[in-house]
Amino acid sequence: MHLTPEDKELGRRNFLKALAGTPALAALGGALAVRGPIKGGPVRVGAIAIGSHGRGHMHRPDLAYCNLVAVADINPDSLRRIDEELAKRKRPPVKHYSDWREMLQKEDLEAIITAPPLGAHAEITVGCLEAGKHVFCEKMMAWDDAGCDAMVDAARKSGKVVEIGYQRYYNRMYQAAYEGIVKAGKLGDLYTARIVWNRNKNWRREAGPAPQGLDPKAWGYEDYDHLINWRLYKKHSQGLTAELGSHMVNVTNWFFGAKAKSVVASGGIFRFKDREVPDHIYANFEYPDGRTAVFTSTESDPFEGNYEAFFGTKGTLIFESEKNAYFFDHSGDGKAAATEIEVGPKTGPVLETTESRPPDAVGRQATTAGTMATGDPYKTEVERWCAAIRTGRPVECGPERAMSSAKACIRANQALDQGKRLDV
Amino acid sequence: MEKRSRAMPADSDSSRPARALPRRALFTRRRSPAEPTADYWIRVFRRAMACRFEVTLSGEDARHIPAARAALDEVDRLEALLTVFRDTSALSDLNRRAALEDARADGELFDLLVRCRALHAETEGAFDPTSTPLSRCWGFLRREARRPAPEEIEAARVCVGMDGAALDLERRTVRFDRAGLELNLGAIGKGYALDRAAAHLRAGGVAHALLSAAGSSVVAVGDGRDPRGFWIDVGSRRLERPVARLRLRDGAVGTSGAGEQFFEVEGRRYGHVIDPRTGWPAEGVLSATVVAGDAALADALSTAFLVGGAGLAERVVAARAGVLAILTLEGEPRPRVLGSYPGAILEELCT
Repeated sequence: MHLTPEDKELGRRNFLKALAGTPALAALGGALAVRGPIKGGPVRVGAIAIGSHGRGHMHRPDLAYCNLVAVADINPDSLRRIDEELAKRKRPPVKHYSDWREMLQKEDLEAIITAPPLGAHAEITVGCLEAGKHVFCEKMMAWDDAGCDAMVDAARKSGKVVEIGYQRYYNRMYQAAYEGIVKAGKLGDLYTARIVWNRNKNWRREAGPAPQGLDPKAWGYEDYDHLINWRLYKKHSQGLTAELGSHMVNVTNWFFGAKAKSVVASGGIFRFKDREVPDHIYANFEYPDGRTAVFTSTESDPFEGNYEAFFGTKGTLIFESEKNAYFFDHSGDGKAAATEIEVGPKTGPVLETTESRPPDAVGRQATTAGTMATGDPYKTEVERWCAAIRTGRPVECGPERAMSSAKACIRANQALDQGKRLDV
Repeated sequence: MEKRSRAMPADSDSSRPARALPRRALFTRRRSPAEPTADYWIRVFRRAMACRFEVTLSGEDARHIPAARAALDEVDRLEALLTVFRDTSALSDLNRRAALEDARADGELFDLLVRCRALHAETEGAFDPTSTPLSRCWGFLRREARRPAPEEIEAARVCVGMDGAALDLERRTVRFDRAGLELNLGAIGKGYALDRAAAHLRAGGVAHALLSAAGSSVVAVGDGRDPRGFWIDVGSRRLERPVARLRLRDGAVGTSGAGEQFFEVEGRRYGHVIDPRTGWPAEGVLSATVVAGDAALADALSTAFLVGGAGLAERVVAARAGVLAILTLEGEPRPRVLGSYPGAILEELCT
């Protein structure tokens, strides 16, 4: 979505204006946030598989909610990095394990945060739930349908709080847009979503030699490269559709208030021949009542960046890079604003001529000033999950919600492989 | 100030928009057509072009309220034609096409562009509807004003210049001679819309009305049933008080200034009106008010004089009859008045 600076300015002001009559951004932010300290004290948390993404969850949450006790990771390099990260932020040190099962046996933990390669989500989550732990699992939910089903089943049986990490649910901007624009009907009838994540980079990371003491094969990885670059290998990954697309499909489900019922897809490994997952993928997700979400993810031209755009009969809503939101209201286009009449005495001048004021000189409508307040969604989602454990207040993205987007994304890859439309 | 306090009513609210009176007052007056002049104004207004467009009628002209509404409809029509804030406008369409082809322009739009070209020449390039890249470069379009690097200004200047927009009068086409050129009628559009709205009123038999847009563009139709004409104060936001009192019959006013949109760096003030000839914010003129025969002209000249200063104003006013300019200059206590307009009387100069 390439908008001119003027479009962005107009769309941003329209967005804030559209929310003016509804619960404001700040108020919604307040509703999302939790106020500490929570009754029962911070949750005793262990972390499993804390790669670059997992580490982000470790240092953000307030210590009043989340007391990180121990971490388990098969990669000694990851353990060293989490130590450095915690020390840098003056957080207490944690115990180390390479085997997460051993950690569960030896530590008195209430809950687990986990961010392993996708192929391991179900095994770890189900194992932790069966051990009676609450679980926060990084998205996407699981590598296949069976994994999703097992996680939902284990969550039900355990009665524990399970959250799948879709941070857009904890982003004030998305919450405010859902409440103030989507639910308020300001998009009119919503038929189309365009969800796009384009970039120009090789997803591959430099793996280097395996650290001493790590035998990747023992943990199911062919070699160290397969562990570090698991996103590129089918055994562990569902590729761009899962790692990038599932965020957006999840938001689409939320805003459409529905689950995708079928999907067609095309794409392939066109540019980077070193991998097993597509570097270009295009998928059409079909929803009930004639609604469609068109997903594009390419690793060649980053021009359009990443965005979710919702097209309705009365307006267009666009989120750009999780940081900006734009709203274009078509309901008033070409229609006259209301005419008003005032009557006043003939005292003094009829008017004073001066230069026009700023809202008059640029832009179209004078609206609330302000910047987009996204909050810190990564921090809020973990804190809210901790608070849910203590208070029972539901989390935003539990297993059922996460499963519908995960299965749609899994099905998109299958539709690509099989060359046909598949039901989700 | 002393002089002003004698000349003007003590009512400090006098220059503010009138407060609404009870509805009954309006109807009572309508039933008394015998009164020679009503003692109240009827203001019919709506938002268009991001500001308040208003038609002010004298109380006894209440029957013209439907005509005032129709005149405001004309403004809406022109906004849809001329705005760059809608993808669907004729001007947006022209901006998209004219760098690629000889782009045929809507008849009314083309006529206005021809006029812009003449005004650009007359004002020695100070009025230039292609200066948007400079405003963008200085951050005024996003309200994030800052001082750009010299090379950024130079890069923006490459994309500025009305002479780069070739107008073919026979085929009525526009062709940009370089990519990046864009037309923006922000400095003339409100005035033009008021002129068209005023023409509608006159054609509908309205003899007296004052039309205004944002207070910066004004058209007087008739004299408001006061032989002296409509009373209009001339303000300068940087002085926060009127600098002159104007009486106007059948004429138009345009006012430009940089008292509202500016920023300061190291004690130097940079206003939002950029001199298209240098790429730097205009300096030296606090506000420029022009009285002329039509509001498009008054708007364009007021912008040009803000940019080009008293020297340019003197040359233009000397060469063209029927233009009155009131300039508030940096460091000069009294506004400078140049030229004259037949329907305008400057009753008071407040210092």
